[in-house]
Amino acid sequence: MESRLLKPALAVYLGLFLLFLYGPMIVMAILSFQGPTGGPQFPIVEWSTYWYQHLFGQISGSRVSQLPVGESLIRSLVLAVMTTIVSTVLGVMAAQAFRTRFAGSGPIFYLFVLGMIVPGVLVGLGMALLSNMLGIDRAWWSTSFVLHVVYTFPFAFLVMLAIFNRFDRSVEEASLSLGVSPAETFRRVTFPMIFPGVLSAMLFSFTLSYDEFSRTLFTSGPRLTLPLSIYGTFSVEIYPNVFAFGVLTTVFSFTLLAIYGLLMMRSVARNNQQFKGQEA
Amino acid sequence: MHDLELIRVGKTYPDGTVAVSEFDLQVSPGEFVAFVGPSGCGKSTTLRMVAGFEAITHGDIIIKGKNVSAIPAEKRPTSMIFQNYALFPHMNVRDNIAFGLDVKGVPRKERDAKVDRILDMFDLSQFADRKADRLSGGQRQRIALARGLVVEPEILLLDEPLGALDANLRRVIQNELKLLQRELGITFVFVTHAQDEALGLSDRVIVMNNGQVEQIGRPEEIYGSPMTEFVARFIGANAIFEGRDLERAATGHSVLTDHGRIAGHASSDLGGGGGIIAAVPAEAISIGPRTRDESVPNRIHGTIATKHRIGSICRFKVSLSNGQAIDVETASRDPHLMALAVGDHVDLDCPPERVSLLPTRP
Repeated sequence: MESRLLKPALAVYLGLFLLFLYGPMIVMAILSFQGPTGGPQFPIVEWSTYWYQHLFGQISGSRVSQLPVGESLIRSLVLAVMTTIVSTVLGVMAAQAFRTRFAGSGPIFYLFVLGMIVPGVLVGLGMALLSNMLGIDRAWWSTSFVLHVVYTFPFAFLVMLAIFNRFDRSVEEASLSLGVSPAETFRRVTFPMIFPGVLSAMLFSFTLSYDEFSRTLFTSGPRLTLPLSIYGTFSVEIYPNVFAFGVLTTVFSFTLLAIYGLLMMRSVARNNQQFKGQEA
Repeated sequence: MHDLELIRVGKTYPDGTVAVSEFDLQVSPGEFVAFVGPSGCGKSTTLRMVAGFEAITHGDIIIKGKNVSAIPAEKRPTSMIFQNYALFPHMNVRDNIAFGLDVKGVPRKERDAKVDRILDMFDLSQFADRKADRLSGGQRQRIALARGLVVEPEILLLDEPLGALDANLRRVIQNELKLLQRELGITFVFVTHAQDEALGLSDRVIVMNNGQVEQIGRPEEIYGSPMTEFVARFIGANAIFEGRDLERAATGHSVLTDHGRIAGHASSDLGGGGGIIAAVPAEAISIGPRTRDESVPNRIHGTIATKHRIGSICRFKVSLSNGQAIDVETASRDPHLMALAVGDHVDLDCPPERVSLLPTRP
């Protein structure tokens, strides 16, 4: 196709893509500034930060009850941090193991990656049945936690596998040949070099765990995580306080991303210099 | 006592591929040996077996009288230098060099003194606080050498250390290496695919092919009297003539080639039943205008195909009657020879004492 046709077409496509990507979020953000008498739809009756205040319990005597997110937010954050730590550590270790081919490494690779492929509802239900059979109480920090690790570990593993794929082994060999033990070599040479990858693996694990729904639904027991408790409020009636909360979590996510981006830029800038130097 | 001894060392992969077999070698203290051969000949694998990065499946590796075959790389008294430098990208030059001492827990004062001394020796003091990746290839290889030497290894292993450098820099670092080795008196084991590098730098050359040692000898032996057809073809610019009908005489042997009978010396057994070749180093062949004098031994006739004058030397390509072309090199001082032009008929003389007769593999 000619470029004078292709370019506008691609521009329209991009515009639509961005609209569908950010449209819902923007609508939500606008509606979160609805006045006290307005509902979860247009038009905006009155611009205000009422629902933000409502969210933090600053409004007394409202007929709408406060969004019950406080504890579930803490639970979700703790769960995401636990999952991040365990999945990243396991992911780095597993990827390190896969740097050398060993007996059965092919089948084991697929077994590892299966956790991200099998449908969450099935795994959640299966875990619920299993814990019933074994007489284990379901809780967000036990049964859900295990499934979160099962789900996020493959992502961390694949990220680290890609990192190790490009990793120059001779740098480690240089360290060994200087008389440095393998453990010390990993700590002082390998780890600093794969750190950007570790950061990506952590980000993946955290965000996937933080808004995981289907696996948690069946396994969290009576104490709900954030996605579950927000969903719970939908079954009564929706007020703009949910939107206000949505905006705040989005801001939180973007903050995480920004921190990740900054850390990444620092490491990548360092690596770029390295590559430039090698060509010279 | 030898610094390094390989006793029937071999490596066979689980799938049955033989990487190296029956490798015997003894290296004296302070010797500079070079492994040379085409890629895939097993030279790097052998070096990596000495370093401890590759397991051996046969034989023993002895360093300073101690069998290290089962000892991991970090406990062997060797340091390895890599083609791609393998510097630590997250450390500056000083930290790169100090790394080995630092991890070993050498006291700070002693460590700093040693690092300062070696920085000075390699002319790197001005870069000490820079990131290694900001420097040129030559400087980075100097850092790698300093890093490998500061831990005072018994043996320095160099795996194609000059392979990533351009030709000029390669010559500079070659000279530095040679001086360094003489100064320090450390045993160097050097791997390269470039024959000139091996011949020019080392005290002894080990020519390898297909996982086996073809010949071990001083550079002039390897160059002047190749023991096998492979060595003759791989090392230097030898003119090679296929021969048959060996005649043995007290003064020397001779074979019949397409260009007449060629006499030479045999340094290995020719009775193997295979063919025989005569190998002559290019610079041993003298060229001259065609005469009718047939009394000179080993005189071959040919026609000049190309002539290249490069400064002080002149290279002729001479085509022979059977279609073979051989390269001849002469000094370009001689106006008599410079008068030769493409298409001229010439005589080529191969002095019998420079001709090696070698068996070919059946």
